[in-house]
Amino acid sequence: MEITTATRDGAIILSVAGRIDTATAPALEQAINKEIDIGNRKILLNFSAVTYISSGGLRVLLATAKKLKNPGDKYALCALAAEVNKILKLAGFTSIFSIYPSEGEALAGW
Amino acid sequence: MPGGETSLISLSWQPVPGAPGARFYPIIRKIDTISSNSYLFQTDDVILLIDPGGVAEQSAQLALVIEEIREEHDRPVFVFLTHAHIDHFFGTQCIPAFAHPDVAVFAVQETGAAALERGDGKLTQADLLGQNISPVRIALPLITDERSGFFSVPISLAFSNGATVTITRGQTRGGLVQEIIQFGAGPSLEVYHTPGHSPDSICIRMGRLLCIGDVLFAANPGIAGICGWDQSALIRSLYGIEALIAEGGIDFVLPGHGRVITASDTGRMFAAIRTDALALENIAELNQERSIETAAFAEDCMEQVNELFTIMAGRLYYVSYVMEELGEEDVAAEVSRLINGDVIDELLEAFRSFADEHHKRSGVSIHLALKAGQVIAKLERSFDGAELVHIIDPGLARRAARLLSDYTTMLRGFSPPRELVEYDIVRHLEALVTGLSVPSCSDDDLLSSDDDHSTFTRLLLRRIGMQPLLSDVEFTFSSAEKHLVATFVHDDLTDLITYILEDLVGTGAEAIALQIKPDNKDAIITISGTGCTISDEMKTGAGFLGRLCNRAGGTLSFVTDGKGREYTIRIGGLL
Repeated sequence: MEITTATRDGAIILSVAGRIDTATAPALEQAINKEIDIGNRKILLNFSAVTYISSGGLRVLLATAKKLKNPGDKYALCALAAEVNKILKLAGFTSIFSIYPSEGEALAGW
Repeated sequence: MPGGETSLISLSWQPVPGAPGARFYPIIRKIDTISSNSYLFQTDDVILLIDPGGVAEQSAQLALVIEEIREEHDRPVFVFLTHAHIDHFFGTQCIPAFAHPDVAVFAVQETGAAALERGDGKLTQADLLGQNISPVRIALPLITDERSGFFSVPISLAFSNGATVTITRGQTRGGLVQEIIQFGAGPSLEVYHTPGHSPDSICIRMGRLLCIGDVLFAANPGIAGICGWDQSALIRSLYGIEALIAEGGIDFVLPGHGRVITASDTGRMFAAIRTDALALENIAELNQERSIETAAFAEDCMEQVNELFTIMAGRLYYVSYVMEELGEEDVAAEVSRLINGDVIDELLEAFRSFADEHHKRSGVSIHLALKAGQVIAKLERSFDGAELVHIIDPGLARRAARLLSDYTTMLRGFSPPRELVEYDIVRHLEALVTGLSVPSCSDDDLLSSDDDHSTFTRLLLRRIGMQPLLSDVEFTFSSAEKHLVATFVHDDLTDLITYILEDLVGTGAEAIALQIKPDNKDAIITISGTGCTISDEMKTGAGFLGRLCNRAGGTLSFVTDGKGREYTIRIGGLL
């Protein structure tokens, strides 16, 4: 799994590539926490290159939602592959945070 | 020594209890299907190697140890096999020290001896494991028909390695045919014929140690049913070995794979194996063809299992999250504990890595099938479906449990139970989609339970956890006829339709239509979704869904036009 970080329209965009599984989920959590710890409260996860997410990965997404629920905080996912979208949808996660088709739509819509 | 038995030490010479002057050197491996444990014995008269193993490194290591002790005191060498399966001897095939009968005399029960002499790929399991074996010269066939008439009469045999042995035929009180082999004045070796795992299986005893080969695994899925396996012989042998141990005089049981066991621990193990073995009537032979079929089913199954377990774990985390938001931290923690996501993730990851490596190396199917069996057995122990169904959609847990159990059933050599019964397709599917459209707990249920906190919490968990699959999608159900009765497997058709609907909903379908109509003597069920994402990973009519449809009693076809998807199920024989 690889994570690249960028800033756009005041939001931190973490673009993740590869599998989010037992081995890699902690690295994703660490990367997100690093941004939150330095005061970034607008986090967008670009999952366009994520091919798989395990239950450990789902837990990281929920843990982030718990940290970013203050007024003014923004947290969303975008550009999910069909299979990853299916897991999030059927697990019920789409009612916790927003999922957008693209980075542009996420930044315009949240 | 792995497994906790500290009285015996792997890779170290130690005295053989009950056999004065004898010492032994065990190699205890981590359990795998490639190579057995090895047990090397030495007395003043002879060097005895039991099961030199399936990998060359192990046999070469043993050859070095033998060379060392022969330099100290040269003696004849015998190689005994507890049975002629490839994982117990294949390592010797490229080691010169084991190539010539003048150096090492091989001793195997006569059925196995004949198989090795002709290079039989079936009985040795070489075919199943994708290996080619060279014929092996067996100078000392054991428990032979020829010697059956010489009960209690010692027979002397001389060998090209310079040894002269005396063999005395007998029978144990538990009914096992026995040969006592005397190599000189020192301790003797006792051999007991214990067929079942294979026709040539033997147990070998020196002093208070008993090498039992693979009898402990003989009823395991993926092992029971291999060529030469015999259920009734296995059960008789288990009784015979138990009786032998019960007579006393045996302290440790040395299995072909895994840790050494104290004799007192074996009773419970043998009883469990016997129970398993008794249930294995009429299982199919585990040959190469069936192992390929089982491995393909394993990969299908594991892909679905992976998806179902991730969704179930995610759903529980979601419920836990909402409960935490509602200030019910204790309930939230309790819900999270219902599934051990980390363990499940690790198991699924272990299978994926194994399967990736298997495909890279073009591995043999039986290894993949056995690995899946191992992972599935652990998964079955890792989740409590009975508890989960109170919180999340019972269909998820039910399908996961059915997949796991179907795979184990198939690996065991049975066909998964399928009951073709006449049903009204229209009514069945109408009930199914209604169940997937309405909440399992209504607002009224919730409101009427608010006086009782525990009932309210239980219903609230259900309300949060069981989100109707079709609630957010424009769904239409239509049938050309009010009733269409056909014969199909109810559970499989239910699962098939659910998998298809989940796939359409999960990939973002805006509208889904399910239509039923007759076509001559067939019923046609069409499920179409529009607005869903089309990807290489989407479920098509091939693979898992296709096979599931066939098991349900129908055939499945699939089309996509780039904007939507349509699945057509055809069930023949309308009544």
